[in-house]
Amino acid sequence: MEIRPILSAMLRNKTGAVLVVLQIALTMAVVVNASFIINQRLEKMNRDTGIDVDNILIFQSWGFGDDYNHEASITRDIEYIRSMPGVIAVTPTRSLPVSNSGSANDFRATAERFDENNVEYPSVNANTYVWNEQGIDAVGVKLAAGRSFYAEEVQFRESRSSEFAPVTIITKDLAIKMFGTEDALGKTVYDFFGNAAEVVGIIEHMQGAWIDWDELTNVIISPGVSAGPFIRFMVRTEAGRRDELIAAIEEQLPKLDRGRMIRRVEPFSDVVRHAYSRDHSMTILLLSTIILLVSITSLGIIGLASFAVRQRTKQIGTRRAVGATRMDIVRYFMMENWLVTTIGVVLGSILALAFNVWLVDTYALDKLDWHYIPLGMLALWVLGQVAVLMPAMRASTIAPAVATRTV
Amino acid sequence: MFFYHMRMAIKSIRRNIVLSALMVAAIGIGIGVCMTAITVFYMMSSDPIPYKSDSLYAVQLNSWEAPGPYDADRPERLPELLTYRDAKALLDSEVPTRSVATYRSGFTLNPDNPDVSPMLVMSRFTTRNFFSMFDVPFLYGAPWDEATDRSGDSIAVLNYSINEEVFGGENSVGRTVELAGREFTVVGVMDRWEPVPKFYAVFNGAFEEAEEVFMPMLLNESWERQNYGNTNCWGDTPMNGFRDFLDSECTWVEFWVELNDAEQKSRYQDWLAGYIAEQKRLGRFPIENAGAEVHDVNEWMDYNEVVSADFRVLVGLAFMFLAVCLLNTVALLLAKFSGNAARVGLRRALGASKAMIFRQNLVEVGVIGIAGSLLGLGLAWLGLQGVRSINLGHYDRLVQMDANLVLFAVAISLLSAIIAGLYPTWRICQIPPATHLKTQ
Amino acid sequence: MLSMQHISKVYRTELVETHALRDFSLDVSDGEFVAVSGPSGSGKTTFLNIAGLLETFSSGTYMLDGEDVSGLGDNERSRIRNRKIGFIFQSFNLIPDLDLFDNVDVPLRYRGLKAADRRERIEKALETVGLASRMKHVPAQLSGGQQQRVAIARALAGEPRFLLADEPTGNLDSLMARQVLDLLEDINEKGTTIIMVTHDPELARRAHRNVHVLDGQVTDLKPFDGGTPAVVNAGAGGGA
Ligand SMILES: Nc1ncnc2c1ncn2[C@@H]1O[C@H](COP(=O)(O)OP(=O)(O)O)[C@@H](O)[C@H]1O
Ligand SMILES: [Mg+2]
Repeated sequence: MEIRPILSAMLRNKTGAVLVVLQIALTMAVVVNASFIINQRLEKMNRDTGIDVDNILIFQSWGFGDDYNHEASITRDIEYIRSMPGVIAVTPTRSLPVSNSGSANDFRATAERFDENNVEYPSVNANTYVWNEQGIDAVGVKLAAGRSFYAEEVQFRESRSSEFAPVTIITKDLAIKMFGTEDALGKTVYDFFGNAAEVVGIIEHMQGAWIDWDELTNVIISPGVSAGPFIRFMVRTEAGRRDELIAAIEEQLPKLDRGRMIRRVEPFSDVVRHAYSRDHSMTILLLSTIILLVSITSLGIIGLASFAVRQRTKQIGTRRAVGATRMDIVRYFMMENWLVTTIGVVLGSILALAFNVWLVDTYALDKLDWHYIPLGMLALWVLGQVAVLMPAMRASTIAPAVATRTV
Repeated sequence: MFFYHMRMAIKSIRRNIVLSALMVAAIGIGIGVCMTAITVFYMMSSDPIPYKSDSLYAVQLNSWEAPGPYDADRPERLPELLTYRDAKALLDSEVPTRSVATYRSGFTLNPDNPDVSPMLVMSRFTTRNFFSMFDVPFLYGAPWDEATDRSGDSIAVLNYSINEEVFGGENSVGRTVELAGREFTVVGVMDRWEPVPKFYAVFNGAFEEAEEVFMPMLLNESWERQNYGNTNCWGDTPMNGFRDFLDSECTWVEFWVELNDAEQKSRYQDWLAGYIAEQKRLGRFPIENAGAEVHDVNEWMDYNEVVSADFRVLVGLAFMFLAVCLLNTVALLLAKFSGNAARVGLRRALGASKAMIFRQNLVEVGVIGIAGSLLGLGLAWLGLQGVRSINLGHYDRLVQMDANLVLFAVAISLLSAIIAGLYPTWRICQIPPATHLKTQ
Repeated sequence: MLSMQHISKVYRTELVETHALRDFSLDVSDGEFVAVSGPSGSGKTTFLNIAGLLETFSSGTYMLDGEDVSGLGDNERSRIRNRKIGFIFQSFNLIPDLDLFDNVDVPLRYRGLKAADRRERIEKALETVGLASRMKHVPAQLSGGQQQRVAIARALAGEPRFLLADEPTGNLDSLMARQVLDLLEDINEKGTTIIMVTHDPELARRAHRNVHVLDGQVTDLKPFDGGTPAVVNAGAGGGA
């Protein structure tokens, strides 16, 4: 098939061709960047939390009234929940992992205060949690080495106190940052005030509080129970029994004591979902944008091609009359579309990169992975060819006889 | 003549019904998507207190110390919040028209009415100028007086919704409520007040609802309820209990001043420099060039990225989307009008002037544009429902259209339709009368 | 009525310059019925287009109704087309999705006439061509001859001084062609000046005067005196 006549026909209707080229280029720029962002968000959302997210329920307890006794209330609640069938473990905690809310502190591997020369043992920022002896089980993280806390290590804390329990459990990621290749088990970790704690356990993997934070998997856990009167609980249940226990706790726990309120008994997975809701929304919005845009562009191509077929009925009939096969007619339209799309995707690649550079500069997004460009080109080529197929087929059914009839 | 044009336009649209429907759809979807994004963006970035946003300033002090800058990725940034001791000291400055320190907490509320069960309330410890500085409307009573700021009595101001809930909306001034086990006397009830965004405290949810109970900040020095929200600490002085926390180098208090002109602003900056110098002599503010910064409301929204980068990207995408839709429409219109060339040539031969042809086609473009706009408005409304349903982090309150936005939507759709229609319409008027009449 | 002096028309395309008319001079007086003939490509349509103000010319003068039209702007030209000139085309050029009434209405609309006035004119024009009963039909429901009669009605409705017809019978069989010509003669008798391009010697004979165009020029204003045999015959048959 000859390209020259198609090209010259296109050149005679420059504006129309330019518009379609621009449309395809912009579509490609948007689709490429949007799918890149979507993919990044999906990867982010699919990271392993290290936590048994689906089998944990959580709730809040608010003490009020003059006779509220934090220690007694928590001890009784833990005991009661543990006695419920289906419960594996329960721990009080001030804040929840993967919730975008929590606390973090600096820790280091030597007793000396940090200074710039101390490169061997830099201070490291880590999420802090205070859990009881069932904490590791209640959150469902795996210990790579060492042990959980002993019950006697768990103390009730003062509000806003800087005490640091003498033992601690840290994540492997944190261990590597503090001690490098050395075995961290049995080593000493110092907090900012110089208090020391021995590492008695190492968690294989666990995410801390803020999902967008670089140090998300630096986690350090101390034995204890945080001060009240507000406290949260994490309860891990046997597989499949979470929801029945949510109902049971909601029903039974408030009855034990009217001096504190039980609020928001809910699956922990809701918290995680909520933490990622912004990323989730972003992927949905971007995906809708892509779908709508692709539909608009393909409908546009179909519309223009159908119109061209109608306009050129007589011409097509004449071509058929002088011996063009059906395939020739189909090929003509496909080729025409292919030419326009090709110019479009070449321009689109440049636009996509430019758009990405702008996103990187302005919003500190990541640099586009180059694979997306050829993939985007391919996608638009296919899109164009598929869109034009139907009108092209219709064109090929035009009877040669129309050439002799007046339109 | 308009009705004639209209009738011809409708005939022409019906002749190319699929193509016309496609154009309406393209304009409609483009507008719908664009308006959805703009609505959310507009609500997020709207000035919450337009008439005085340029005289209210958030204050930052660089009380931070090595080993690293406060924000390692952006070392030029100062802590957004003040230490409690700095906040208290700054309250004493005579320079600003008003100064306000505030932080958030939360606790149980036990009404004296046995029919109402205990509930959780979000509360704010602050100083009396909070209400006048941020123009908080009062339904009953008034803010507490200056003496209360210094005495820290157990009094409270309730907001509209908690007063509805606890007192059924009655004038509750003088009544008591039990908050976290302590009895408080109500001195004032606010009218509805929900700034969007919640500019006076943008951290931990700039689009959440305002707090329900407000009380004097001093009172908590002895009451010792924990503060909520961001708390950043440095230093190696151990803390034992709340008193130590109040005296610590932890930053957690929002601080605002009202400065009415440039002169007052520069006087205040001098005052802050003096304060820092004085504190340095006492051994605080260890960083060499520790300074202070003030940002007015809108600068503060930007500084803290209240409108997230994601939304800005989405708005950018939405405009590109609209551009594609318009290009699409222009291409379709051109095609359609080119199909009309013979007809236009004939009409020209029969005596229609260019202006008449222009008007005729403009009516047609207008019909398509208006249909597209209407569809766009409908889709924008649906889009907003969609945005609401996917829960953009509890931003329900953002996704509603006000009159401004509807006007804007109408304007942008008409503009789009005109932009899309003008060129093809102009092109078709250039058709010479004779060319298409020769025997085809 | 119409006076063209030394008109030339050059079409320029990338490849060639075509001199469609060169030093073309013709006078047509009020009430005349002129038939124009000539081989294909000789410039007949170009002449009609210029006469009807559809196209401009490269040089020469053209007086229409005593007015020099060469310097007129597009709007003024549209107005003159609309009020003074009626067109009849070989391929009818009716608008397929308008019914007969609306088709005849088209030029009247551009003149800004009152609705009642328009209706009266349209009905009268369709009456004249014998199609008043089919006002609500669309062109596709008519035969070729009927379609051309609608085109004539459209031209007549504006009561033009001047009717230009480019091979109006080219697409019609001889019977229908004769009917159309009868109609044109009637119109001419009522005072409308007619210029008609035709290849058909029999039809040309019925005109008052025959003009022969060759290579963009009027070869002979009085073909009766000589020229090609065909024209001589036509002239003789015409009996001026
Ligand atoms: N728009 C145009 N562009 C270029 N050449 C043209 C154009 N219209 C007509 N011509 C040329 O002018 C000459 C006269 O054409 P025309 O008046 O249509 O002839 P006729 O009607 O006598 O058959 C022809 O050679 C034709 O090719
Ligand atoms: Mg001709």
